Amino acid sequence: MKGSSVVVFVMRRFAVAIPLLLIISFGVFALVHIAPGDPVRSLLGARASDPATLAAIRERYHLNDPLLVQYFKWLSQVVQGDLGVSIQGNRAVTSTIADRLPVTVFLSLMSTVLVLGVGIALGAVAAFRRGTRLDRAVVMFGVVGISSPAFVTGIFLLYVFGSLLHWFPIFGPGTGFLDRAWHLTLPALALAISVMAIVVKITRAAMIEELDRDYVTFARARGLSSRRIAFAYVLRNALIPVVTAAGLIVVGIVAGAIYVEVTFSLPGLGALTVDAVQKRDIPTIQGTTLLFSVFVVLVNLAIDVIYTLIDPRIRFGRVES
Amino acid sequence: MNTAVARAGQEGPLLTVEGLAISHGAVPITTSLSIVVERGETIAIVGESGSGKSLTARAIAGILPPGINAAGAVTLDGMPLMRLAERELRKIRGFRVSMLMQDPFTMLNPLLRSGDHIDEMLRGRPDFASRAARAAEVKRRLAEVGIVDEDVARRMPFQLSGGMCQRVALAAALARDPELLIADEPSTALDVTTQAEIIRLLRRVQRERHMSLILITHNLRLAFSTCERIYVLYAGSLLEVGDGAAVERQPFHPYTLGLLLSEPPADIRVPRLVAIRGSVPRAADVIDRCGFADRCDWAKQICRASKPPLAARDASRFTACVRQDEIQGELDALRTAALSAAPITLRRDETEGPLVRVDALVKTFVGPRGRAIRAVKDVSLRIMPGESVGLVGESGSGKTTLGRCLVGLETPTAGDIRINGLAAADFGAMAKADRARVRQTIQMIFQDPYSTLNPRHSVGQALSEALGASAGATGPATPERIATLLAEVGLSAAYATRRPASLSGGERQRVAIARALAVKPAILVCDEPVSALDVSVQAQVLNLFKRLQAEHGLSYLFITHDLAVVRQIAERIYVLYLGEIVEEGPTERVIGDPKHPYTRRLIESIPRSANQDAP
Amino acid sequence: MSAPAIAETRKTKLPRHLPIVILIAALIITVVVICAVFGEGIAPYSPFLQRLGVGDTPPSAAHIAGTDLLGRDVLSRVIYGARTALVGPVVVATGAFAIATLLGLLSGYLGGLVDSAIMRWVDFMVALPGPLVAIVVVGVVGGGYWTAVFVLVVLFTAPDTRIVRSAVLEQRPLPYIDAARTLGISKARILFVHILPNVLPIILAYVVLDFAFALVNLAGLSFLGLGVEPGTPDWGRMLFENRNILFSNPVALLLPAAMIILTAVSMNLIGDWLFERIAK
Repeated sequence: MKGSSVVVFVMRRFAVAIPLLLIISFGVFALVHIAPGDPVRSLLGARASDPATLAAIRERYHLNDPLLVQYFKWLSQVVQGDLGVSIQGNRAVTSTIADRLPVTVFLSLMSTVLVLGVGIALGAVAAFRRGTRLDRAVVMFGVVGISSPAFVTGIFLLYVFGSLLHWFPIFGPGTGFLDRAWHLTLPALALAISVMAIVVKITRAAMIEELDRDYVTFARARGLSSRRIAFAYVLRNALIPVVTAAGLIVVGIVAGAIYVEVTFSLPGLGALTVDAVQKRDIPTIQGTTLLFSVFVVLVNLAIDVIYTLIDPRIRFGRVES
Repeated sequence: MNTAVARAGQEGPLLTVEGLAISHGAVPITTSLSIVVERGETIAIVGESGSGKSLTARAIAGILPPGINAAGAVTLDGMPLMRLAERELRKIRGFRVSMLMQDPFTMLNPLLRSGDHIDEMLRGRPDFASRAARAAEVKRRLAEVGIVDEDVARRMPFQLSGGMCQRVALAAALARDPELLIADEPSTALDVTTQAEIIRLLRRVQRERHMSLILITHNLRLAFSTCERIYVLYAGSLLEVGDGAAVERQPFHPYTLGLLLSEPPADIRVPRLVAIRGSVPRAADVIDRCGFADRCDWAKQICRASKPPLAARDASRFTACVRQDEIQGELDALRTAALSAAPITLRRDETEGPLVRVDALVKTFVGPRGRAIRAVKDVSLRIMPGESVGLVGESGSGKTTLGRCLVGLETPTAGDIRINGLAAADFGAMAKADRARVRQTIQMIFQDPYSTLNPRHSVGQALSEALGASAGATGPATPERIATLLAEVGLSAAYATRRPASLSGGERQRVAIARALAVKPAILVCDEPVSALDVSVQAQVLNLFKRLQAEHGLSYLFITHDLAVVRQIAERIYVLYLGEIVEEGPTERVIGDPKHPYTRRLIESIPRSANQDAP
Repeated sequence: MSAPAIAETRKTKLPRHLPIVILIAALIITVVVICAVFGEGIAPYSPFLQRLGVGDTPPSAAHIAGTDLLGRDVLSRVIYGARTALVGPVVVATGAFAIATLLGLLSGYLGGLVDSAIMRWVDFMVALPGPLVAIVVVGVVGGGYWTAVFVLVVLFTAPDTRIVRSAVLEQRPLPYIDAARTLGISKARILFVHILPNVLPIILAYVVLDFAFALVNLAGLSFLGLGVEPGTPDWGRMLFENRNILFSNPVALLLPAAMIILTAVSMNLIGDWLFERIAK
């Protein structure tokens, strides 16, 4: 009974995620046609426009077929791992992505650790010390963080720690784990601050709400230890809204990574995307956009599943409308 | 030294509260309260909303919300609680003083199984070091509060009923065997039958453990039936203190008398309830005078000169009324008059056709995961023109759904509704003119006075919309017509410019009645219209309903859980239980001689004091 | 007797109702608005005047904030930049909420098929990584600033609709709505005369918060070279054009960067403050 309701819930989420992925993939596919001008020209890039090449491109991207047929042929190629060829340098998009992926993954993971660790801790501390100077400082940090996009924070960090103080390197991704962490500290911080602000805000609000709950008062009235109340009552209940907001966090990190990579000139996927957009390299744009979007959708799906597992009200089959 | 103090403490009262003054910043909430609780004694702190009773309870337990401060002294067995550090207090809470709160559904941690709430209280004690020992103890503790189903310990709080949650919470509150339990409105959020069970349980547990109990309640009748001593709290000050039986027999303060009289009796129908005019003030507004002076018939200059202190009138009685000696004779006369009020009975000739006819009504809702919830199953009823009919039931009985079907807020799944002869089961399917006629015939009054009016509209706007823009619009709304409507419900024309936020609950409910009257309906469906009001205000609104019925020949379908209220207003009663009518008949007959076991249980659950039981 | 007392306490409480932080925030926004409207009168130079021979120089008496690579006065460009910093976000925030209010009211009050159709669309839009969609669509379609504004309106409408809808759903079960329905008040009147005024304060607070978010997003697109046309004085664009002179004239980056943060912080503070006042 209990198990089945979780399965039903997860299946329902999957049922929503699959059409979502199809629509996204169609949007990505349609980029070729949305771009102003002839799709063939878009896909041709800097190559010589002799009839043979044009025909080859038409053949490669099935441009002679009706739109839907084109889409399904493209989709089946994508599923097989063929994302087309970049118009710059005639390289397979998949191998370019594979080159760029490690930096982005490293950067994102580093910031995620910062965001969750520092963000939840700051939000919790502010809530427990509500109304104090510390709380007001944390709230102000939250407002400034939300108002400061990663590229602006990045410029300030570059200037202060890279240019004025020379504490951190200002160029390149570094090699090896420690060196890379060293090189990516400023970018990860720039990326983390704006997203962290969201986490701080949500955690603080959720914790304050929990602190006001009857069951917390009742727990105090029964003389439970403050540690037991803080963890088993307040934090545990407050984490549910934080988990629900994880979707925002993931989108924030993915989008922020794009800006941070450009700001710090890091050879990651985000910088690749922006570079491709500026050069109108449609196949590359398609490849990275698809990867980012699928990642976001899958993470959201995972969050939903985690959410059902931690909230007993759903686990035990009471689904609120 | 320490043992000497402890022994000395064993002899004195368990708890003494002296000069307790609670404030929110600079705004006072209570002024200088003194309370004494003996070992094994039960006391009640009775007060209406805004009296400060709940915060008093929390001040005693040392768990005031942030921003609220308390001054004075709370002494438990010689220990000055308000001077103890939080970590010291934690050793007292649970072990010596524990607390039970009002809302059973929000008192338990939604992420903990119900048994864990007891289990966590036992951890750290050497005898319950093992999980198995604790599980056995949890079982024993649940059995003490009447839960024998072992599965309950494993269930999550949201899977339990309100009464069950309250029992689990009580077991958790008692898990460390406190000497004093503070119960803050422990039964108010529950259904009437469950209320009586929880109160019986509290009394049993209190007696068995020889524990002291502070019951915080708004219900004077409940206080008299449960507690030995009564503290009457009003706008932050104690107005009267005394033995329950004595206070009930002969109240020494006009407010206590007023409360007693405005409480509708369940056993007789009185022509008119004695109501206290006006509404409860804020403590901060009456800081320098008798809090009750503005509503008191005996108030003189002296009552407003300064705050009268609580003074002893005999060995165990205290009153804050400075004029008690002079007016006691009048108070007694009123009390006697009320006790011997001649009951009235109403008879109606059933010659006309019914105004409302409901036949075989069924309403099914689609619940979670497509499960059908049958709120109303096969209900038939009649309401004659000018007749006042009571629909009595607890939450989940379908009484509200039935009322909403009548006014077209819900569409029944099956069955027939005829209003003034017009088929009105499905408002969507009716012709526009018919719909307008039905709306002019039947209107509704809702329970919650605080959201029954649009907060963005003034009283005048609300009434002029009902007069001019509703389906039953009778012509443009003029200031005169609005003033007439307001006068109808006992409000002055000046109320037209007021916003709902500046009105008291009783005033809002009056405006809501005026709004419904704008279309000159023949019948009002009243869904618990007085249950959210203070007792002193409730009587005013009930009197208004009676007057309107007498003056306009209005019919009512009075939906309520409160038999005493329905006793005063309805000529005939339908008892609804789980979506079905289980009993029907004239009010006196149903309440005086209930046939169905459920009706009997409802009537038994009305709190009765020793005085009432005596002939 | 108590009425004058209440009025008095209100008067003395006024400063507390308008905290100093909010005053400063309002002041900053006022300065930005003045720069946007009276830019010509305030700016010491034309923002387009190039002096290639001068190149990028650090702050001096002639150029308080120095010059950029093309020798243009940085301060003048920052003052003119207030225009794109205000116009786009205002259009995005009000446009998105105008559509969202209509959709949210319909979806929340009517329910049924209308509701599920609108909510299906909202769920889809919210699941997309918005900033990435903006970059790709603006980049591929082209069209600069106004395309970016349009894309942001579309992206913002979905979450805003959700906000309006849940505010409507909060009002819908309240008895004052039931009372209006029982009286036979028309649906349109219930929606616009009863529900709308009650959800409007929440919408207003969110419009202010949306403005800040739109500013940050538009500046971001300009920073990637995708928003405004090249050469336009715009804070985001200045970060893009001056990214290589961080060491020769850091003010050329730090000043527009600070303006973005200050404006966004001010709007967020005002929005949060409005929101808290409504909640009380």
